[in-house]
Amino acid sequence: MKYFHIICTLLFGVAVTLFFGKAYPHHLHYQEQFQLFLFDSSYVWDVVKLPGGVADLLGRFCTQFFLYAWTGAIIIGVLLSLMQILMLRLANWGRLYGLSFLPSCLLWLFLLDENALLGGVWAVLLTLLVSWLYEKLPEGKIRRILLVAIVPVLYWMVGPLCIVFPLLQIRRSELPWNVVTLVLLIVMPIILAHFVPVPASKLWTGIHYHRYPTAIPTLLWGSALSIFALTCIVRSLQRWANASSKHVMPIVLYVLVVACMGTVVWKNCNFKAEKTMRYDFMSCHQQWNRIIETITAEKPNNQIGVTVQNLALAMRGELLTHMFDYNQNGLLGLLPDVERDAISPMPTAEALYQLGMVYAAQRTVFEAQEAILDFQKSARCYKRLAQTNLIIGKYEVARKYLMALQKTFYYCDWANETLQLLGDEEAIARHPEYGRLRKMAYQTDFYFSDHVTPQMLEDLYNSNTENRLAYEYMMAAFALTGDRDSFIKYAPKNR
Amino acid sequence: MKKILYTLLSILLFSACSGETVKDAKQENVQPSIYPDYLGVTIPVNIAPLCFCMADESALCIDAVITDSHGNNLHSQGGESANFDISDWHALLDKNRGDSLSVTVSAKYEDGWHTYLPFSIYVSADSIDYGICYRLIEPGYEVWSKMGIYERDLSSFDEFALIENTQFEGCVNCHSFNRGNPADMSLHIRGAHSATLLRHNDGPFTAYNTQTDQTLGFCVYPYWHPSGRYVAYSTNATSQLFHIADPNRIEVFDTASDLQVYDVDNNELLLSPLLKQDSVYETYPVFSADGRSLYFCAARALPEGSLQLDSIRYNLCRIDFDPITGNFGSSIDTIVYAEDQRKSVSFPRPSYDGRFLCYTLSDYGQFSIWHHEADLHLLDLSTGKSRPMTEINSKDTESFHNWSSNSRWMVFSSRRDDGLFTRPYFCHVDSEGHVSKPFMLPQQDPRRFYRDRFLSFNAPDFIVSTTHFDSYKASCLINDEFRKDFGVRK
Repeated sequence: MKYFHIICTLLFGVAVTLFFGKAYPHHLHYQEQFQLFLFDSSYVWDVVKLPGGVADLLGRFCTQFFLYAWTGAIIIGVLLSLMQILMLRLANWGRLYGLSFLPSCLLWLFLLDENALLGGVWAVLLTLLVSWLYEKLPEGKIRRILLVAIVPVLYWMVGPLCIVFPLLQIRRSELPWNVVTLVLLIVMPIILAHFVPVPASKLWTGIHYHRYPTAIPTLLWGSALSIFALTCIVRSLQRWANASSKHVMPIVLYVLVVACMGTVVWKNCNFKAEKTMRYDFMSCHQQWNRIIETITAEKPNNQIGVTVQNLALAMRGELLTHMFDYNQNGLLGLLPDVERDAISPMPTAEALYQLGMVYAAQRTVFEAQEAILDFQKSARCYKRLAQTNLIIGKYEVARKYLMALQKTFYYCDWANETLQLLGDEEAIARHPEYGRLRKMAYQTDFYFSDHVTPQMLEDLYNSNTENRLAYEYMMAAFALTGDRDSFIKYAPKNR
Repeated sequence: MKKILYTLLSILLFSACSGETVKDAKQENVQPSIYPDYLGVTIPVNIAPLCFCMADESALCIDAVITDSHGNNLHSQGGESANFDISDWHALLDKNRGDSLSVTVSAKYEDGWHTYLPFSIYVSADSIDYGICYRLIEPGYEVWSKMGIYERDLSSFDEFALIENTQFEGCVNCHSFNRGNPADMSLHIRGAHSATLLRHNDGPFTAYNTQTDQTLGFCVYPYWHPSGRYVAYSTNATSQLFHIADPNRIEVFDTASDLQVYDVDNNELLLSPLLKQDSVYETYPVFSADGRSLYFCAARALPEGSLQLDSIRYNLCRIDFDPITGNFGSSIDTIVYAEDQRKSVSFPRPSYDGRFLCYTLSDYGQFSIWHHEADLHLLDLSTGKSRPMTEINSKDTESFHNWSSNSRWMVFSSRRDDGLFTRPYFCHVDSEGHVSKPFMLPQQDPRRFYRDRFLSFNAPDFIVSTTHFDSYKASCLINDEFRKDFGVRK
């Protein structure tokens, strides 16, 4: 039976890892780009000072590794498996062994949402861990005092999900102590509302469980409360659950739970979003060849996909020759209007950047970062803001972003290298990207809103006729708007 | 892992540095280059310690000794910055009111200690107000992230949030006090929970809807009348455009704007046809020290649809105001005809003693925050003559500013530090209009503090005491749907 449990947990962990690593990797990349984890005491304090801060910090710490999807997938696999192991320790599951996977499966479902934060998973896990450790304490007065003392500490560490801990400790013999802990849980948010700068409702539902400030993560709560419900069920069915039986019943239930939950997970996957995120990821990492391969296999039919497709074609010098082999969306397929959200402007910003419209790219990236719903910053955006400030010669501002990136795990080396460039005009001029983009910049200023016009592309091209990308975009714009005269004017034979 | 090792190493370095004796120092014949630049500044007697670091980041250790003419001294040594003990600092300043201090700095580099020529810090006998209040916001464009209104005690390093937009959905701006007295306070909320929170005579806050059918929109840019009975506001139809290739990245401009005064006692807006002309953009209203005039900026309106933003130039104007009746005068005087110099005035701020008026001058428009050429000018109200405040202006933007309640200190925002993030600076202005070298808002570990903070100090204003702002109650008011409507005097 011992090996049976290990094998089942292992199988579950591998399934979760394979799922996120193979089927859902770009959801992990998506998560990573909406945070900036800093190895910095002020940053840590800013996170942990809020209720749920410790779980949030651990979540953010883990999320930084999502830059590499397989690392992220392994982390999630381990966390969900650990949770199941702790569930197993909380009760004698016997025949109902399969049900111990249910909370982990619910968290798996929760994590399908690209805005679900890993801090929520850590909140449940830490609560379970504390509950398990508490179970090991000997009976007595100290145990009871600790019960009351742990609640506020746990509330600070993991937020309102800690309610599971006192619920799990409800005993008929300790009723007064249980009442005290539950009263404490009710009083704390009421008092804290006067001191913590968040809406009072967040103190009841959790501050950093979900990126949307107004969202209540029902699956996360469902997972947490299922821990209590399941242990209640197991305890009440103790005699039946632990009656001697072969492995048949636990195996059947295990297979049933995993199969059912696996189906539910698969049915609830947002593969459409995954595809879109994939395009964004590829453009972010400038994987132009991979983009071409992808669009050749399946033509994109959404805004982000078409934008990235056109950018990749232009980067390969194939926009004019092949653009009509793929879906187009007029001018908006080349350079969509900038929306006020965190994700859709990013591919547009990449195109603006590559074209040499550095100021416009900078604004677009900055605004996208500001639109991150839970007010976090983005390593991806910081990197691009450092680059654009470097290109336009704002070295002190670039330095500021780079020095922040020096405090990160993955971007540190890049920041150190880029810092060497600041103020070194010759090195920047020689740089294949920054030097090129400096040369490609507009020579004359004008006002720009959110809508890129063919005229703007024409001006960009005329600022530097060696700007091949601007030429491709300009001609594509003429073709897409049916401006035959302009197209002929700039056609290769007339150039 | 590397980062953690660096951190541990720097902790070790710091602990290794503190308490080290400066020995065999090479005497340099120049004054030290420090950050922030506190060389020769004039400071109020009750300011927080001026902690500083070597401008050159390769220094391994910094040692600073402050001495006065009575033989007292104050010593600090640190790996990153010289951080003076706060109570010793205040004791030293108190003993040297109206006198100067001498600061000797030594820095340790790879090749050993270097000692620099001492520099002076002048301690003015004029004290500064309790603190300042500002908004902290990323210097962005149209979308906002986390922001808030904060109060900073100027005699220490303590900073408190009055309210942050994590408490509601929206943005917060335009905090205003009556000559720094937070008993009269105005604060705007924008977005889904739009409101103006107004507190009068230290009473409770009320959430107002300032939009009426006779005005352009929500009231903005508040300025309290010295009596506390009125608040001057402008209403602006504001737009933004973005430069494609200009260091002044943004143009914020009005396509229409008017002025009005709100009578707090009678809950009514006082309007004048002279202050709501279609052909004129009127903005930034402020009352004179005696409360009998209203200064404001006015520009000829652009023809509809025109984007000749660089032709919008604001002059400084004035109209009489009768605080008894709430009536406006019948004519408008132009006080500074900036249009003539092909310049534009913004943010007029009269000193509370009635001697001066400080304003920002830029090439065009009224949102000088995004104009690198913007500088501060001082108008002597007794002579009517203006001069650029060369003592405090820099190559970069100087824009918003305010006077302390005793009119001897000014706080102004400047982008001189890195060209983007606004920092508050202070300068002394004596009764003759002599202006001292400015100093940056002191911080405990200034380089780390200003480098790590990706926020601008927006619209700094003095406060004479703590604001006693109950952010919980305020957020309840904001999140509640009730708004009291502004009335309009018939």
